[in-house]
Amino acid sequence: MPRRTRPRGHDDRRSQRRKDVLHEASGHRANDFRCAGCRLDVSLHAPGTAHRNHCPQCLASLHVDRRIPGDRASECRGRMEAVAVFTRPDGEWMIVHQCLSCGELSSNRIAGDDNALALVRLALRPLHDTDRASRTLINL
Amino acid sequence: MSNTANTLKIHTFTCAWCGLTATKTASDGSLRNHCPSCLHSQHVSDHVEGGPSECDGRMSPIAIAVLRTGDWMLIHRCVRCDELTSNPVCADDNQLILMRMAVRPLAQPPFPLEALGSL
Repeated sequence: MPRRTRPRGHDDRRSQRRKDVLHEASGHRANDFRCAGCRLDVSLHAPGTAHRNHCPQCLASLHVDRRIPGDRASECRGRMEAVAVFTRPDGEWMIVHQCLSCGELSSNRIAGDDNALALVRLALRPLHDTDRASRTLINL
Repeated sequence: MSNTANTLKIHTFTCAWCGLTATKTASDGSLRNHCPSCLHSQHVSDHVEGGPSECDGRMSPIAIAVLRTGDWMLIHRCVRCDELTSNPVCADDNQLILMRMAVRPLAQPPFPLEALGSL
């Protein structure tokens, strides 16, 4: 129960001051994001790419774009997990992400500081199941 | 005569890339959406908005994703609008192209793979 020692309507408490600390909108953390998979703080400045969209440690991403990369028009905001690696004709590795909540796919170039072990594990995933891979080789 | 043509249209499709006439259902009864010979597909359904797509572009196979169950999924990309789709691999798909796609990234690694041997 709030204390009412003064008559009502005669409140001289000042209203709460506006915050002048800007965390995300345009402040000192505007260029950072926190990974949805491993909670690592990631800077948007990445070596080798100007369009970092995934965590360099666990390669997870967030479903924020709709059709055009960078449009931020998706309402899903689901976590996207890396499902596959492919190479462009010029030899660049690309990661394919799949949204865990809606199943949408997207692709992004790897960055210079992406975890090499995670990338190679992802690339070796089709060959991990030796049964499936050897059956494929026998059928050739 | 026209009856035969209609039956062919319902049960088969022509590949947009290699021109092979393929049946719409695979031998194990599952629905097929890509050519079993060159694995190319056609962009007919819109995955962002849902429903059919007006693009109708050719979709080329780019990667293999592995489900938690161990099944291979084939990832296609539309050459016209760059949309990605994934579909399960059929039993009679061209194994050479599948295997080539699976090992393709390892042929062009962005970093020396020898360093991983010492881990």
